[in-house]
Amino acid sequence: MAILLTPAHRISQEQTGRSVRSSDIPVPVSRSLFISRLPALLGGLLTAVPVLAAGQDASLYEKEIQPILAEHCFDCHADGADKGGVSFDTAGSMEALLGKTDLWVHVLKNVRSGLMPPAKKDRIPAADQEKLLTWIKQGALKLDPANPDPGRVTLRRLNRVEYRNTIRDLMGIDFRTDEEFPADDTGYGFDNIGDVLTTSPLLLEKYMQAAEAITARAIPLVDRVIARRTIEAGQFKGPGDQRKNRREIALPVYEVADVRSEIRIQEAGTYRISLDASVVGSFAYDPGKAKATWFIGDDVVHEEAVKWQAEKKLVSTVERKWEPGTYPLRLKMEPAQGWDARPSEIPGDGQPWVDVRFRGAILEGPLEPEHATRPDNYARFFPESGIPEDPAARETLASEIIRRFSTLAFRRPVDDRSVTRLTGLALQTMQAPDGSFQKGIARALTAVLASPRFLFRMEDTLPGSDPLAHPLLDEYALASRLSYFLWSTMPDAALMDFAARGELRHQLAAQVKRLLTDERSREFVRNFAGQWLQTRDVESVSIDARVVQARDAGSEQDLRERTAKRRQLNAAIDEAEKAHDEAKVAALREEMTALRARFGTRRIEFSGDLRGAMRREAEMLFSHLLREDRSVLELISNNKTFLNEELAKHYDIPGVQGDDMRLVDLPPDSPRGGVLTMGTVLAVTSNPTRTSPVKRGLFILDNILGTPPPPAPPNIPSLEASEKSSDGRELSMREALAQHSSSPLCSSCHNRMDPLGFAFENFNAMGLWRDKDRGEPLPSPAGQLITGEAFADVRALKQLIVTERRMDYYQCLTEKLLTYALGRGPQPCDIQAVDTIVDRLEGNGGKFSTLIMGIVESPPFQKRQRSTP
Amino acid sequence: MNIPHSNRRRFLRGMGACLSLPAFEAFSGKAMAATPAYATTATGAPQRMAFIYFPNGAIHDQWWPKGSGKDFTLGNTLAPLESLKHRLQVVSGLAHANAEAGNDGAGDHARANGTFLTGVRVKKTAGSDIFAGVSIDQIAAQHIGKTTRFASLELSTDPHRKSGGCDSGYSCAYESNLAWRSPTSPLSPESNPRLVFERLFGAGPQGERTANLDRRRAQQKSILDFVMDDARTVQQQLTHRDKAKLDEYLTGVREIEQRITAAERFPNPPDPAMDTPSGIPAAYDQYLKLMFEMMALSFETDSTRIASLLLAHDGSNRAFGEIGIAEGHHSLSHHRNDPDMIAKVARIDRFYVEQLAGFLTQLESKKDADGQSILHNSTIIYGCGNSDGNRHTHSNLPILVAGNGGGRLNPGRFLQLQDTPMCNLYLNMLDHAGVPHLDRFGDSTGRLADI
Repeated sequence: MAILLTPAHRISQEQTGRSVRSSDIPVPVSRSLFISRLPALLGGLLTAVPVLAAGQDASLYEKEIQPILAEHCFDCHADGADKGGVSFDTAGSMEALLGKTDLWVHVLKNVRSGLMPPAKKDRIPAADQEKLLTWIKQGALKLDPANPDPGRVTLRRLNRVEYRNTIRDLMGIDFRTDEEFPADDTGYGFDNIGDVLTTSPLLLEKYMQAAEAITARAIPLVDRVIARRTIEAGQFKGPGDQRKNRREIALPVYEVADVRSEIRIQEAGTYRISLDASVVGSFAYDPGKAKATWFIGDDVVHEEAVKWQAEKKLVSTVERKWEPGTYPLRLKMEPAQGWDARPSEIPGDGQPWVDVRFRGAILEGPLEPEHATRPDNYARFFPESGIPEDPAARETLASEIIRRFSTLAFRRPVDDRSVTRLTGLALQTMQAPDGSFQKGIARALTAVLASPRFLFRMEDTLPGSDPLAHPLLDEYALASRLSYFLWSTMPDAALMDFAARGELRHQLAAQVKRLLTDERSREFVRNFAGQWLQTRDVESVSIDARVVQARDAGSEQDLRERTAKRRQLNAAIDEAEKAHDEAKVAALREEMTALRARFGTRRIEFSGDLRGAMRREAEMLFSHLLREDRSVLELISNNKTFLNEELAKHYDIPGVQGDDMRLVDLPPDSPRGGVLTMGTVLAVTSNPTRTSPVKRGLFILDNILGTPPPPAPPNIPSLEASEKSSDGRELSMREALAQHSSSPLCSSCHNRMDPLGFAFENFNAMGLWRDKDRGEPLPSPAGQLITGEAFADVRALKQLIVTERRMDYYQCLTEKLLTYALGRGPQPCDIQAVDTIVDRLEGNGGKFSTLIMGIVESPPFQKRQRSTP
Repeated sequence: MNIPHSNRRRFLRGMGACLSLPAFEAFSGKAMAATPAYATTATGAPQRMAFIYFPNGAIHDQWWPKGSGKDFTLGNTLAPLESLKHRLQVVSGLAHANAEAGNDGAGDHARANGTFLTGVRVKKTAGSDIFAGVSIDQIAAQHIGKTTRFASLELSTDPHRKSGGCDSGYSCAYESNLAWRSPTSPLSPESNPRLVFERLFGAGPQGERTANLDRRRAQQKSILDFVMDDARTVQQQLTHRDKAKLDEYLTGVREIEQRITAAERFPNPPDPAMDTPSGIPAAYDQYLKLMFEMMALSFETDSTRIASLLLAHDGSNRAFGEIGIAEGHHSLSHHRNDPDMIAKVARIDRFYVEQLAGFLTQLESKKDADGQSILHNSTIIYGCGNSDGNRHTHSNLPILVAGNGGGRLNPGRFLQLQDTPMCNLYLNMLDHAGVPHLDRFGDSTGRLADI
C-alpha cells in the first residue's frame, strides 16, 4: 500500500492548474472522536505515515485525493459546475465534505462501474482509481475492517409467504394468507423488508382471527374418529370424462356420460358412501335437462332430474356392510336433448350452460367404534397414548405440550413465566362447562400464534467482551436467519438442535448445503428470483395478444376496425332481437358469420399455461444453477434452458414434446438462453399492447448492472405515448424515442437505457421473436453501452454483461441478495461485505455457492449492530 | 311462473330489500345518547362520509359540466349520474399543491395517491422511513368513530401488488393506501368482499353470524391479556427502532380491546338475509359493484359512518378488455392529445362513474328514519389526486361531492372555485361531522365559504 504515497502518484495542485479552496476550509482543532479510531481505519492506507495528528484525514484528502478529483472530476463538478447536482466544493467545510456519505457512495459506485468519468473523457489511471476507492471506503466512509458495522436490521414481521409456510410447518395445515391477509408493502424491490412491513390495526385483527381459525382447523378436538377418505373424480373414467381435472369432472346436461371407478375395501365392516356432486349453471338461464344416476355396485342408489339451478347438491348417502374386496362406483348422465338443442350465446351474458360438477365419492368406515383411529394431525399435538384422566397429570402434560410448541413457534426456548401463563389459559378453558383438554390446548396455542414472539423475528446476540464491538447473533437467531433466507419458513428440528447445542456456526457450510438441497429451497427461488426478476408478475401482467401481434404485422388499424364492426353488429343484433325483427336478426347474423369467416375465429392468446411455463423457466434455471453450483453468469448467458412443448413452440425451438418442463440444449444460433431473453422478463417489461425499450433498458440497469439512472424529471410525459408526430403520422418506437430524448435533459439517461432496450426489440411484448414492427422491418439491434462497449445484437450484449461488465453484475446481484437476506436496504456499511463477496466470485468464476456462503458468512448476516446507548 | 335466479342475481337485487333499518335503532338507541353532536344530521340521523378514488386523472373537457351554478349540464363522463344531479356538486378549482413535484422530482402517481386524503407532502423513500400524515377520514374517525361499531372502513378493488419498487422511488405504501392512521402507519384496505362482509356481520350462513361474532369476541378477550403482557415484556428488551415496530402491534391490540369494549355498548349487528359473498368476482364491473354494495351496506346498517375506497392505485395500467380497451389505463392517460387515446381514457373515466352511479343510486333509494335518503345524509367525495394524467398536474382536480351532508351542503350545482386547496373542503367536512374545530389540515388556507 505504500506505493500509494510515492511522489509519482502525487498530482500537485499546481499541475491541475486549479487553486483548491482548501485554505478557505476551516479545519477543526478538536477531532478526538475520529482520531481515536483513525489508526485502525487508515492503517492499510497510511503505512508510510506512522503517527496521525489532528486534521490528518483532511490533509490526507488534500494531498492524495483532491488532486485525482481535480484532474478527472472538477471540470463538471466544481467551480460552479454541478452537473447532475454533484459538486465537490459546495459543502461549506472540509469536515462537511468528508462527511457527505451519499456523495462518496455515489462517487464510489459511478467510478467503479465506469460511468464516471464519462466514456468520452480520459479514464482515471488504475492506480489512482484504486487509491481513490480505497480512500472513500476507509477515509470518507470510515469502514472499519476490524469491527465491521453490520448495519441496522429492523425487527421483521413475518410476511404473508413466511407466515403461510411457518404455519404449514408448525401446524400441518395450509392457511391461505394470500386470501386472508392484505398484501405486504415492498421496499427495495422485496416484500420482506423490516422497515416496510408495518402492522396495521386491521392486520392485527386478522392475525387474531387467523390464530383462532388455524388452531380450530389444525388441532383435533376428539381422540378418535371414523376413518374417512375421498375417491376423487380424477379416478373415474369413461365416456364423457374429458372435461376433468384431479378434483372434478364437468358433465354437461347435453352430453351422454358414464364414468366409473371402484372402492377397494381391506377391512370388513359397515361403510358409509356419499356422493359429492352438484349442479352448477351459468348466470343466464339454460333450459337443458338430463337424468343423473348414481350406482354402487349394480344398485341404483340415487336418481335425479338435473336442470338449471344454482349450486344444487346431489345428495346421496348410503351404508353398506362390506367384506374385503372391490366395489364398483358409477355415475351416468342421460341428456333429455343433444348439443343441437343448446341455446345460443346471449349478448352480454355469454353462453348459457348447465353442468353436473362431479367431485367423486366420500367413503367413511368401518363405522364400528372399535375401528376408530386417531384423527389427522393428532400426533403433532398430543401423545399417541392419549390424554390422562388424572388432573395433575393433565396439567403436567398441558404444560409440556405448551412448552414444546411455543419453543417451536417462537423459534427459541420459551421462558417459564410464559409457559405458566399459557398453561393457566389452557386450564381455564379445560375447566369451563363445555371445556376439554384439547380445547384448552387450542386456546393456549391461539395465544402463542397471536404473540409478537411468533409474528416478529426476535433476535438475541451472544455476550461479547468488547462493548464497542458489534456482537454476533445467538445461534437461534442465526438458525432463523438461515431458514427464512433459504426456505422462507421456520427452522426445522435439525437447525434447532444445532442451535441448542451451540454448534450451528461450526456447521454453517454443511447446513447451508443441506438447506439448499431440501425441497423447501424452492421458496427461496420463488421469492428471491420471483421478485428480483419479477417472474411473480408474468402470470398477471396485462398483455393483449391480439393487439400485440396485429401491431407487429402492421394490421393494428384493421383489427381496430374489425373490432368496431363486430361490436356494431352485436349491438344491432340486440336491437333487432328486442324489436322481434326476425328477418333482420337473421341477416345480421349472416353478416357476422361472414365477418368471422373472413378473419378467422382463432383467438390468439397469451394463455395462463404459457405464462406459467415462462415463470417456471426462469425459476427452474435459477434453481438448476443453484443446485448444480454453477456460475451466476449462466443466468445471463446460457446455451440451455427449461422448456415444455408450449413454450418451445413459442420460442420456435423444435423437438420438445409434452407438458413437462425439461432442460433443453438451444440451437447454436438461438437468441434465447439466459433470463433476459426469457418470455417472463420480456413480458413484464412491456406495456399491454407493445414493447417498451425504456422499461427493458431500465430493468437491466436496475437489476443486472446495478446502475439505475436517476428517476425522470417531473412533468415529463411518458415518452412511450409520443408515438405520433405533429403531423399525425405514426412514428416507430425508435423515432419516438429519438424525438423524446433529443433534449439534453432526457438524453443523459435515455442514452443509458434505450440502447439496451433496443437490443431486445426483436422480441415482442409476449416474448415472441419478430422481424417487423408495424409491418416495417426492425432496424439493427446494434448499440453501445454508456461505458463505451459496442454490441451487435442481443447475444453480444449478453456476452458483454458476462465479460466486460461482469463485476457490475456480481456487485448488483450480491446487493440484491444481501437486501433479501437481511430484510433491509443496502447501506454504505455493506460496501466492504459486498466487495469481499464480489472478489471471491471473481476468483472462482461466479460460483453460486460462493455467493450464498458469502452472504451467510458476511458480518451483516452474522452480527447485529451494537445498540447505541 | 317461477323464474329461477342464480345466487348472484338474487343477491344483487335483493340486497337492500332484505335489511331492516338498523340505522334507526342505532341513532335512537342508548349508544348515541353519549355523543349526540357527532356525525349526526340536524334531525339526529347518522351522517356519513366516504372518499372514493379513481386513478390517473380525467379527460377534462368531458369531465366538467357545461354552465355554472345551479344551471349546468353534465358532461359525457358524469352523464351516468344525470338522475342524481340534484344531489351533486361538481367542484372545479381544487388543488393538492403537495402532490406537485417540488424538490422531489418524478413520482406524481405516488404523490397523487399519498396526498389525496392526507394533504401533506409524502416523504420520498423506497422503504425504510415512509412518512405521510394522518388522513382526513382518520381524523374524523378519531372523533366520531366511537359512535359506530367500526370507526372507519377501508376498501380497495385493486388487490394485486407488483413486485419491485413503485413509482419513481416511492414506497408502494403511498399508492396502495388512502387512509393513514398516523404518518407512519397506513391502513391497508380490504379488497375481498367476502372478508368485508364477515368483518361487518360475522362469518357463516345467515342465522349463525351473530353467534359467531359473539364467540369470536369472547375468545379474543381471553388471549388479549396474554399477548399484551407478552408484547410489553418483549418491548423492554428492544432498541428504539424495534420498539416502534412493536408499538404498531400494541396499538393494534389496544384497538381491538377498545372495539370489543365498544361493541358491547352496541346492539347486535343485523344479520342480512343474503349469502355471504364468495370472494372476488372475476368480472371487474361485478367486483366494483359488489364492493360498492359492501360500502352501502355498512352505511345502511350504521356499522360505520366513514369509508374510503381505492378503485385502483394512481398509475394503474389496467387494460379494460370488458369495454374493448386493450391498452393499459396509465399508458393511455399519457395521450399526447391523440384523439383515439383521449376517447379511450374518457371511456374508462365514464366506466368508473357508471359504477359510482350504481352506488349513489342505492344510497338514494334507502331512507333513514328522518325520511331522508342515506345519500341526503352523506357527503361522498369522488375524485382523483391527479388532474390531467397526460401532464401530471395536481390543480383543478376532478372532484365530485355527492350528497346533502345531512342538509349542510347545497347540492345541485357546478361550483367553480379558483385554485383552492382541497384541504379547505376537508375542513368543512370535519365541521359538518361535528369534529371539534381544527385550524388547519394539510395545506389548507381556510374553509370554503359556500359548499
